[in-house]
Amino acid sequence: MKKIILLIVVLISTNSVAQSKYEQGMAKAFELWGQQKTSEACQLFERITKAEPEEWLPPYYVATLEILGSFGIKDEATLNSKLKKAQEFLDIAKSLSPNNPEIIINQALLNTAYIAFDGQKYGMTLSGKNAALYSEALKIAPENPRVVLGKAEWDMGSARFFNQSIEPYCKDVEKSIELFNKEELPKFYPMYGKERAQQVLKQCKKS
Amino acid sequence: MKPLFTLLVFISTIYSFSQHSISGKVIDSKGNPIEGANVYLEGTYDGTSSDKNGDFSFTSSEKNMQTLVVSFVSYETFMKTDNIENFKSISVKLKEDVNTLDAVVINAGTFDAGEKARAVALKPLDIVTTASALGDVIGAFQTLPGTSANDEDGRLFVRGGDAEETQIFIDGIRVFNPFMPTGNNIPTRGRFSPFLFKGMSFSTGGYSSEYGQALSSVLALNTIDQPTQEKTDIQLMTVGVGVGNTQIWGKNSFSINTSYINLAPYQYAFPDRNEWSKPYEGASGEMVYRYQPNEDGLLKLYGAFNYTNFDVLQDNINFDNGFQFDLQNTNLYFNGSYKQRLGNGWKVSGGVGYTNETSDINLQNDNVDNAENSAHFKIKAQKRFSSRLKLNFGAEYFITDFNEDFTQSSTSDTFNFTFDNNIFGAFTEADIFFSKKLATKVGVRLENNEFSNELTVSPRLSLAYKAGKYDQFSVAYGEFYQNPRNEYLKFAENLTSEKATHYIANYQYTKDRQQFRIEGYYKKYDNLVKYDDVTASPLANFSNTGDGHAKGIDLFWRDGKNIKSLDYWVSYSYLDTERDYKNYPTKATPNFASKHNLSVVGKYWVDSWKTQLGLSYRFATGRSYTNPNTTGFLNQKTKNYNSVSINAAYLISQQKILYFSVNNVLATQNVFGYNYKNTPDSNGVFERQALRPNADQFFFIGFFWSISDDNKSNQLDNL
Repeated sequence: MKKIILLIVVLISTNSVAQSKYEQGMAKAFELWGQQKTSEACQLFERITKAEPEEWLPPYYVATLEILGSFGIKDEATLNSKLKKAQEFLDIAKSLSPNNPEIIINQALLNTAYIAFDGQKYGMTLSGKNAALYSEALKIAPENPRVVLGKAEWDMGSARFFNQSIEPYCKDVEKSIELFNKEELPKFYPMYGKERAQQVLKQCKKS
Repeated sequence: MKPLFTLLVFISTIYSFSQHSISGKVIDSKGNPIEGANVYLEGTYDGTSSDKNGDFSFTSSEKNMQTLVVSFVSYETFMKTDNIENFKSISVKLKEDVNTLDAVVINAGTFDAGEKARAVALKPLDIVTTASALGDVIGAFQTLPGTSANDEDGRLFVRGGDAEETQIFIDGIRVFNPFMPTGNNIPTRGRFSPFLFKGMSFSTGGYSSEYGQALSSVLALNTIDQPTQEKTDIQLMTVGVGVGNTQIWGKNSFSINTSYINLAPYQYAFPDRNEWSKPYEGASGEMVYRYQPNEDGLLKLYGAFNYTNFDVLQDNINFDNGFQFDLQNTNLYFNGSYKQRLGNGWKVSGGVGYTNETSDINLQNDNVDNAENSAHFKIKAQKRFSSRLKLNFGAEYFITDFNEDFTQSSTSDTFNFTFDNNIFGAFTEADIFFSKKLATKVGVRLENNEFSNELTVSPRLSLAYKAGKYDQFSVAYGEFYQNPRNEYLKFAENLTSEKATHYIANYQYTKDRQQFRIEGYYKKYDNLVKYDDVTASPLANFSNTGDGHAKGIDLFWRDGKNIKSLDYWVSYSYLDTERDYKNYPTKATPNFASKHNLSVVGKYWVDSWKTQLGLSYRFATGRSYTNPNTTGFLNQKTKNYNSVSINAAYLISQQKILYFSVNNVLATQNVFGYNYKNTPDSNGVFERQALRPNADQFFFIGFFWSISDDNKSNQLDNL
């Protein structure tokens, strides 16, 4: 009996060690990110991806960091290499967590990085895809503030292009802020966006 | 209890003392240190980044056999499995990834369009926004170097080859009759709509062994894998109407496009040189069904139906009352393909193409009825051994069954001409990257023609070397065989394949949104078909004794960078060609070839108007013709060709576009050649008539409206 208890204790503690290893790793990666050491953070997320083949968050963050880092790059080969890597990791995340709205909107962000680089070359096919991705994400998660905000911003972009009013989308931004306030998320879950929503809302009020 | 406790403590002590240190240096193939590489033990949290000297060191409590991984963007990932104790001061040499955008590209002779391609000459939008192209895929490629301006024909004439020497493939399957039928001197258009395709590759020579039956050029079009959204498209045009719809459900999608074109109102408003008793009328429908059974497989079924009819009386110097041409044509095309990735680097694909075409033609009072049934079966496999070595191989079979009845009105005699032409082809090709800078493609193609029972072997070779970050050199060599055209095969049974040999050298500079390329080539023709009558007829004797050559230089410059909102390209081709074929008495420059060809295309986006303005200009030196009033054959030259076209696309809202274009806005009177009277007049002079386009100018106004769930998409890609 005693032996069994001991065994259980040992098992649990090993398990909790493994758990905390993941948590430690993730926390460390976020700390690096916070210190602007993005490439180190990205590499750590990459290692965690390989060590924890069941978790979708590490590959999601590898992709996120690569996508964010690709905006503003002037050399197409570098851009392409970074976004190819981002796509690879986003695909890993997708296979671990299908129909995940966070991953879907990240895919739209990845496409946006291509469009921002060369609208003529990538705009025609990718902007249609993005519109579809945002609709899909909204269908799955109408209450996810990042999805609501992402779709509103995308719609505003095209409305601005055609000199149309962005007014109808401002309501969505307001709604996203309400949702952000209500939101309670598991640890390490993507939670960005509230500040962005407030910025966008300011533009709404200006116009 | 106690011993166990002791044991646990003991183990954990060992555990804490058995830290291994792992260290080394990361360098590239030249020995330069790589900073920022990710170095770690696979499946663990233990790792670090290399510093600016490429050095790394970290500790790990793992034991025994471990895999050390070193990865860095745009390099191949390094992996080594060994006992952890051996990972000390190891030197890691990372090989450059050859699949990056800045790696060498094997592209002598080829222009790529589409976003996947590495060196893009045309972007997807260019097909539909080039002023002179009028939304025709072929029209857009005619602005690239290597092509000749042949406005009376509309097909692709590449590097001194005639239009029959270019083959068009959709998803690897041949399109047997890719062009709409038209009357004399009326340019044709491709049958397919440009928005079906995601990528296009136009090769003006030296192409892969996957493609055969083309002496000069191959245009390979790849259809879109999956549409992104459901929508309905409506098109209202001065020449007709069109409707399209796309549906997506689960792993399936279905798109249909139909159009009806009637030129009667247009010809009433802008009469041309001909008398149309039945103006051009065409109805067409295209549909694509796609099914994706799994992540790695894709089935595409494409079907198109096309009906054309017109009756025209054209001025002809040899016919006092004009020459009547009355045509009814139906074309049915089916193309089905399936591709599947199998894992372990294997990819297989297969496809079937089938065409049924019937024409009922009245020439004056003579009647020609013909029917062609053609099919193409193809299977292809690809094995990727590594990112540096890929092997492609496959086999295909072409069937052509042609039947024609000719009824002569004067005698009421009916003649029947038929032929079967089946070809078996097999090909293999290896893509080898020696490094990021040097790559080669080596292939060979075998073909067996049933009608002549001849076996041809065509070697193909290309080599590319990247000399600097932005420039590269490439060369290509290849032998190409093609069956004689249907018009000869129906009369002659003794013919064998015609042959061309290409030698190409190319230099290319690409930086940001600028591209410059210069390409020199020499093409030798052998076994061209000759006959000894005025036209190819059943009475003529046919032989394969013709030959010829074409040599020249093609220049291309595209710049979308230097002037804001302006994107433009310039193509220039110099062509020196002579051939002895058909019924030529001697070697001469054929009528379709111009020595100098220049194309300038510009697009300017006016943001405040939400309008794209486009302009294209084409210049070509005179074309050869024979003047029976002087001696010599094809030794006279027409005047130079000039044409300026403009267009504008105005985005009314996200979904509504107004499009406007004028071809040959300056109404330049272009001449393609002369038609001489068969008999001289009383002074012994042969009178002549200039061969001119049907109408000097063409106007087009269209309104395009898309209706989709999200109110976002438009038909910019439809124009």
